[in-house]
Amino acid sequence: MSNIIKTLDVTERLDNLKQVCDLDEGRIAGEIFYSQAIYEQELEKIFARCWLFVAHESQLVKTGDYITTTMGEDEVIVVRQKDGSIKVFLNACPHRGNKVCFSESGSTRGFICNYHGWSFDTAGNLVGQHESGIYEASDFDKSKWGLREVAKVDTYKGLVFATFDPESPSLQEYLGPMTWYLDALFDNQEGGTEFVGGCIRSTYECNWKIAAENFVGDILHAGWTHDSAARAMLGGSVAKVSDFDESYSVNWNGHGYEFALDTVGNVAVLGESKLNRYIHTIKPSVAERLGDFRSNMIASVSSCTIFPNFSFLPGQNTVRVWQPRGPNKIELFTWVVVNKSAPDEIKEMWRKGAMMTFSPTGVFEMDDGENWEYCTKTAKGRVTAKQDLYVGLGMDTFMEETRLPGNVYQGQLNEANSRAFYQYWYDLLSAHTWSEVPNRNKGKVEAE
Amino acid sequence: MFTKSAALESVSQDVFFEVAAFLNKEARLLDEERFEEWLGLIHEDIHYWMPGIENRRRENPLKQGFYDKDHMAYFDDSLRDLQRRVARFRQPSAWAENPATRNVHHVSNVEAFVAQAPNTYEVYSTFTSIRSRGLDEEYVIYGRRYDTLIRTESGLKLLKRLILIPNATLSCKNINTFL
Repeated sequence: MSNIIKTLDVTERLDNLKQVCDLDEGRIAGEIFYSQAIYEQELEKIFARCWLFVAHESQLVKTGDYITTTMGEDEVIVVRQKDGSIKVFLNACPHRGNKVCFSESGSTRGFICNYHGWSFDTAGNLVGQHESGIYEASDFDKSKWGLREVAKVDTYKGLVFATFDPESPSLQEYLGPMTWYLDALFDNQEGGTEFVGGCIRSTYECNWKIAAENFVGDILHAGWTHDSAARAMLGGSVAKVSDFDESYSVNWNGHGYEFALDTVGNVAVLGESKLNRYIHTIKPSVAERLGDFRSNMIASVSSCTIFPNFSFLPGQNTVRVWQPRGPNKIELFTWVVVNKSAPDEIKEMWRKGAMMTFSPTGVFEMDDGENWEYCTKTAKGRVTAKQDLYVGLGMDTFMEETRLPGNVYQGQLNEANSRAFYQYWYDLLSAHTWSEVPNRNKGKVEAE
Repeated sequence: MFTKSAALESVSQDVFFEVAAFLNKEARLLDEERFEEWLGLIHEDIHYWMPGIENRRRENPLKQGFYDKDHMAYFDDSLRDLQRRVARFRQPSAWAENPATRNVHHVSNVEAFVAQAPNTYEVYSTFTSIRSRGLDEEYVIYGRRYDTLIRTESGLKLLKRLILIPNATLSCKNINTFL
């Protein structure tokens, strides 16, 4: 099993974490967005341990279909196997470390390193080299020098996740009851979802957490930050979230989903009445499939982050990963997700609409980028970096009496999910092993 | 990938002068944030398209090589879409536009050909867009453009634009301008 990846030795925890992150007090400090020392711990204790989103199954239809992406800053190849399974390898040759796949996607029978011609099949086995005879003369054991395979790969409803850490909990345990909510977007119709094609990459000078936290539970910013985009797309302001009768923030293991039950609030900002109609048309069948409650969520005012850096917006149907590139830089990878069963015209409207709203040219995202960059950059000031930042909204909103799964909080204008996100971050940075990560979940694992 | 049809003939010197003046004026209107006048140069049937660039092996091309008409695009716009983008720029609550972004659009390598459809020209150019925001942010985007201009009763209008940047990863957070 020598092709299995070597895991990292865990370095000592930082000793000042409590000063920059105390969620019982409802405060964090800007240092967590700017510190190189904290970032290096994150690569090791979060990105080398957690389950990370690497692909959607629709990108890997046939044997040999692959995409390349990163897990943290580690480059990986995700490839469909002959038996239908998916493997994930480090995109680095085990000879001198050169990248073996330079393409972002495609279909292949194998990967060949440009440097010394080491050649691998899609299962990662080393099958040959330039001048292979000289290796035999050195008693070289080809079976030990295949592509390094990540510890675990698993899928949930088309979403492919991988982890470098053999000790990590199962994907099912990691996601917990969040899967019940993921179904509202990823399993609301027979056949599930697909990505429409392509991946747009852009660069932000911001910390990955500020973006992930925005999607984990910050709808509060939308009414203010995105006023200009809403007026441009709808001719009026965005839905006033505080007017909703019923809305929730739900979290588990640092993941978070905040949502209203207005069915179409998110899709409406695309400004395409046919998309609103599509949502209303499928809603009865969603109610049959998932129940009335989740049929109200399929394109409602809502957002979600699966810890640490996988996020999406139901309704706008943008899916993204905030790839860390240093403490104050990210690469944003975005995709557009649609129901496989949707008519072509509807898929096409989502392809354009998601980009028109949430992309580097999106009228909504324009105003996010500016905010996130300066939330990060102000922490360059050593004094500024140490000041408390308020994250205390909704401290007493936990719902003991609910039939919903997960840690459920009343109302989506609430920083409960943000606190849970940073708490899990804190707990992982503080833990040497998974067993040292405290279980802070207090809600139900399954819906009643 | 887009390539010139061999059959196309160059336009006359007079038309070339007119086309070059059109492109220069367009660039200046964008630099001066005169978006409504810029929209006045756009034909009502515009297809304003800037596909995402994908890094693919030569033996695994997309429909158009390193881009694909059915994949995600930075712009894939009709006139209504362009008008919506302008409408956002004009909102007092467009927080990220105040203070203003300072723009320079530079156009060069202009070639113009008589197109097959009546009253239309195929116009190729390269561009550089330099933007600065705040005290020290600077973003440079460059690329190639393949335009179709059409002569109407109210002068030349932009009917089609294909914008190709070389970058598979955009090196900045947004494109808060037109290219």
